[in-house]
Amino acid sequence: MAEAWIRGKTAPLDAAITEAANLMAGSRLPVIAGLSTDVAGARAAIKLAQCVGGVIDHMHSEALLRDLDVMREAGMLMTTPNAVRLRADFLLLVGPGLVEAWPALPTRLFGERRIVWLCPGTAARGASAHQNVVVVGDDPIDLPVLLAALRARCAGRPVANAPITMATIDVLVAELKKARFGVAVWSAAQHDSLTVEMLCGLVNDLNEGTRFSGLPLTTADNAPAVQQVTGWMTGFPLRTGFGRGLPEHDPWRFEASRLIDSGEADCAVWISAYGAQPPTWKRDLPLVAITAKPDTLRTHIAIAVGRPGIDHNAVEHLAATATLTAVSASKPSTAMSVASVLDKITAALPATRLC
Amino acid sequence: MLTRLAGGRVIDPGNGRDAVGDIFIRDGRIVDAPAGGTADETYNVSSKIVMAGAIDVHSHIAGNNETMGRLLLPEQRYASDVFHPGHYPQPRGAWNTFETGCIYAAMGFTTVVEPAVLPHQALQAHLELADIPIIDKATLTVLGNDDFLLNLLRRREGANAIRDYVGWTLATSRGLGIKVINAGGAEAFKNNLRSFSLDDEVLGYGVSSRAIVKALQHAVHELQLRHPLHVHCNNLGIAGNVDTALATIAAAEGLPLHLAHLQFYGYGKEGPRGFSSGGARLAEAVNAAESVTVDVGQVMFGQTVTISCDVLRQFNARNGARPKKWMICDGDSNGAGIVPYDYRVTDFFNAVQWAVGLELFLLTVDPWRVFFTTDHPNGAPFTAYPDILALLMDRDLRAEWMSRLPKEAIAVTTLASITREYTLTDIATMTRAAPAKLLGLKDRGHLGAGALADIAVYEPGSDKAKMFREAALVFKGGQLVVRDGAVLHLPFGRAICVHPECERAIKMRMRDYYEERYGISPDFMTVPDAAIGRPEPFEIIPCLN
Repeated sequence: MAEAWIRGKTAPLDAAITEAANLMAGSRLPVIAGLSTDVAGARAAIKLAQCVGGVIDHMHSEALLRDLDVMREAGMLMTTPNAVRLRADFLLLVGPGLVEAWPALPTRLFGERRIVWLCPGTAARGASAHQNVVVVGDDPIDLPVLLAALRARCAGRPVANAPITMATIDVLVAELKKARFGVAVWSAAQHDSLTVEMLCGLVNDLNEGTRFSGLPLTTADNAPAVQQVTGWMTGFPLRTGFGRGLPEHDPWRFEASRLIDSGEADCAVWISAYGAQPPTWKRDLPLVAITAKPDTLRTHIAIAVGRPGIDHNAVEHLAATATLTAVSASKPSTAMSVASVLDKITAALPATRLC
Repeated sequence: MLTRLAGGRVIDPGNGRDAVGDIFIRDGRIVDAPAGGTADETYNVSSKIVMAGAIDVHSHIAGNNETMGRLLLPEQRYASDVFHPGHYPQPRGAWNTFETGCIYAAMGFTTVVEPAVLPHQALQAHLELADIPIIDKATLTVLGNDDFLLNLLRRREGANAIRDYVGWTLATSRGLGIKVINAGGAEAFKNNLRSFSLDDEVLGYGVSSRAIVKALQHAVHELQLRHPLHVHCNNLGIAGNVDTALATIAAAEGLPLHLAHLQFYGYGKEGPRGFSSGGARLAEAVNAAESVTVDVGQVMFGQTVTISCDVLRQFNARNGARPKKWMICDGDSNGAGIVPYDYRVTDFFNAVQWAVGLELFLLTVDPWRVFFTTDHPNGAPFTAYPDILALLMDRDLRAEWMSRLPKEAIAVTTLASITREYTLTDIATMTRAAPAKLLGLKDRGHLGAGALADIAVYEPGSDKAKMFREAALVFKGGQLVVRDGAVLHLPFGRAICVHPECERAIKMRMRDYYEERYGISPDFMTVPDAAIGRPEPFEIIPCLN
């Protein structure tokens, strides 16, 4: 089975690696994006970015940074899925996209407890399948105002123009305050950061009288783990660049799609080992695609890799515990890992490079 | 190959040596002077000071909480030194694993203990440690707010059951020792309690904080672990908490017990602001309790971030965050809180905290029982160490600092009356020989034959802080890694751990417990060598038995 392609034609792996290394070394500003990979792949990507003065960004950085933005602008109370499962007597599910973010959510957390789902939108049908889930509100567009109204009523303030009746709001507020260990669950992929901040503010306020916490559901493609690796290796979250020799973080400046569409970046590595999502940028540029199912035609260089935890052992984020875990390959194969491909590229960089 | 460090003043309190002489290195170890043979390479270190590599017993350098702190504070950097009157530190490097290893090594530190690893998060902690260059590491595993232990105590299952559980957890998480953090306090907080003391009971389990500490202390003793139970007491940071610390010292009852960052428990309620130093009382109690060791957790001025598994304390502190942002996590057992903090020279409370730490250093008589820490980064980043050493060695420097701090703060402490100055031997004891003994690391912390060739050479000078900030030479396992404070090589060290033998029964029991309680296998928390991504990531040392 072919492992590598150059300009749409199968090529020996070594040739593709050399070509990729030359491309990176000759680049003014290379971007290493996607980063859908295991911990070893993330480590190797950061090492390569350091060596070539590149930028690292994950395909789900936007959602990760939204939660982080709230923490960095205000504060956040959160808890673990295990603690919710064992202790929560009340779940406040907020908005759509929850089961999509964590398919095991209903089986892990919809046990014997009171559950209110705010504005599930199209998830309403799924919600009604669970007997103990009560839906309040409908259209997710109402969420920011509804959360503000709940927070205001919690603080005993008057509210006008709420999207649902005041009686419903006040009943819900009474329930929130009565909870002994309540937990709000949301997926940042569905909200802007001001909505998340309002929700986290409500959770914080509820702790004046009782215990309430939050469970931010994280995105797919091992994004939380890659963010942690970036954190410890660079000191910064994703969207960090090494162009000036030292790591610098800026959520706007180092956004991969913006860098590429604006022409600032002139070469990209796209890593997608868990699936085969294509990049979101629009401009064509020299691209090295390291994916589980390469689109060999559209890319300058394509290299096929195995799926972490399936083809090879991996360290990954585990949603059920919100920790890193070591996973043994479920169907071990000879397919290469992202880490081994990136390490080969780093090793093939011209000797003038510092790393 | 034989390497000779020639003609330095060798300060090696572990072997009772303080004399000008030579040190010989072969194959990464220190050897006796060979008869007749000549060295293959010689470093002339005459007029310099030669000590073993320093060992830090308590510094939060890795794990989920540190990394959440990094994400929360992208503006935080390691600084060149510390803020002190008339001097502003410069940024020195990003707050990441790479700089952590380089800066520690530049100061002559070669082994550092990460003291708070929750069992469920052990893999990440070890992955991060593996990315810290040069130094060797070890972890302490946190127990004491975990349902399994509390249930063992509730059901009065006895010492053997607790010992087996502690041993299993330690082996699974690849730790060197056990730490307890506000025993029962995190569980109490989940039940909406906002304060929790030594004799308070955990709701639903009918077990007191004291009983948890005592049970773990005995389990550590029975497992024959080298490091005694490492205790983070209740009521951290609160006026009047000196009574809690005194009660905890008394609770040692003659068995080894290590109290971490004691400074944060050194507060009385006297004085016009209802906040005063209890440092002298605490030091007196430590001096009298021979089985007790303490580390200080010195506060220095400037921006830092407090990172703790004491979720109850951090929740209560969140509204005092400087700057105003924070993260509080109700965890599976202990949880965590990250609250940035700026210790200010103009702040009465911060000045008292600074003085309490120095009182503990200076009034604790035995340098073998008081350890050098800032509880990095809680009291100050570890980059402040050289400045603290200078303050300990120079009473005039202390007087100069005190003259710039709020007078009413200094007035509620005894610091101004203390004349003691640490000698280089005291420093070498406190940062080398004593920590090796406390952790049970026989081949570290001294310069006798057979010891690991972890060696720091310093150029003495009037600026003591500079001397300790930039070691003249540092050897790690015999390899020269630092010259004049600059890193030359980046070898990767290992994590030192114990591996208590576990019987099949406890393994089966834990499997059943996790399946029933969490609906998952406990395998998710294992830390396989192969997952770490470096060759031989662990050094397993035997328990004392």
